Amino acid sequence: MDLDELYRLLRGSHFQAISIVNTLRDPLVVLDEGFRVLSANPAFYTTFFTSRDETIGTAFADLGNGQWNIPELRLLLEQVIPRSTSVIDYEVRAAFPHIGLRTMLVSAQRLSHPDSGQRILLLTIVDATEKRQADDDKDILIGELNHRIKNLLAVTRAIARRTAVEGRSAEAYREDFLGRFDALSRSLAASTQQTEAELSRLVRAVMEPYLTRGVTLEGEEAITLLPRQAMSLGMILHELATNALKHGALSVSGGLLDISWCLADDGNGHPQVHLFWRESNGPKASPPEATGFGTRLIRFATEVDLKGQAELQYQPEGLVAELTFPR
Amino acid sequence: MSDTFPQRLPDDRVSVLVVEDEMIIALDVQMMLEDNGYRVLGPAGSVDGALRLLDELCPDVAVLDGNLRGRPIIPVARRLRSLEIPFVLSSAYDIFPFDGSEILEGAENIRKPVSEGRLLAALQRALS
Repeated sequence: MDLDELYRLLRGSHFQAISIVNTLRDPLVVLDEGFRVLSANPAFYTTFFTSRDETIGTAFADLGNGQWNIPELRLLLEQVIPRSTSVIDYEVRAAFPHIGLRTMLVSAQRLSHPDSGQRILLLTIVDATEKRQADDDKDILIGELNHRIKNLLAVTRAIARRTAVEGRSAEAYREDFLGRFDALSRSLAASTQQTEAELSRLVRAVMEPYLTRGVTLEGEEAITLLPRQAMSLGMILHELATNALKHGALSVSGGLLDISWCLADDGNGHPQVHLFWRESNGPKASPPEATGFGTRLIRFATEVDLKGQAELQYQPEGLVAELTFPR
Repeated sequence: MSDTFPQRLPDDRVSVLVVEDEMIIALDVQMMLEDNGYRVLGPAGSVDGALRLLDELCPDVAVLDGNLRGRPIIPVARRLRSLEIPFVLSSAYDIFPFDGSEILEGAENIRKPVSEGRLLAALQRALS
């Protein structure tokens, strides 16, 4: 029996005919009761780069290089014949000749010839490789996003807990907390997981609330940072800025702050970012209490996270800081 | 235990290796532990960094993030097991669906966000 005959056979059975015709763009084979190929459609030959000669009369399990020779699949097909059950989307993941590693979904249904009573198996094979890959990619992406959200909540919680409360009003606490929270948001906005952040964009974004007449920002435009570097540097800049506003050059009128940055060789052929923070015309700078979260954050972020150094000099004219870290 | 580990630091505080790649969380955990009389080693933010630290120092116990910049904590857990150093996990993941994660079996996961009470209690249990 070939496909033309099959169509004739099915013409009387409208329901089945439609469901089969709908699958015809996918490879389709007709097997006899002994699982030998009676017929196959053109999509089968093109999909598997095979010919009629290699296919017709061959046992299904021997097709290609034997990818269909799966005991479990055979068992399922054997049940289709006597019990009139069906196999739907049985997944076969295997290396096929010419087309390589693929995920195929096999569906099978039994048909009976009304005259001869011959029972045949109709098999459709759908290549689900790309869809599976897309599903997997999506799952990974969702997983990463989920992880990032949880991490971000944990970070926010840590900031809320570490922002000082002793001897401070609720308003002062809220202001400090929101300052850090906003610096985190601005740092995140300057980069996403997929793209690199630009140093100049990051500095401008984080310093935006502090920009007054005395603040100058100057540096190379095209220095890119990894997202995690951007977040650390953003938090460092915020801590320096908030200190300058409370105790340093930005706490008095006429105080000056120059931030500049550049990329230089570290002496071993590796690029290194230098960021200079110079306060002047303000009150005399003195080291803050060493245990404060802000101070620790600056040190920690530079040394542990950026793998660099933070040099903080508390000078009579104001704080001078130099951050150095590998790009 | 200080007799068996000559590298052990010369003060009587219990030393905790902290392995965590999120800077602010690492700092938070470090401060929690120091506030409670522990000595912190690290924090290490990567698998390699943690292994390098373990080449030189021998903590009494460790707190491990499950995943460091996309890399599972497994090699660090394996090293700790071979050194017979107990550890607790602090992971946003409920399950550890990667190769070799059976090495994490038996270690308590205090989850994230890290609560100070849960962290300290888990360390006590790990050390006893």
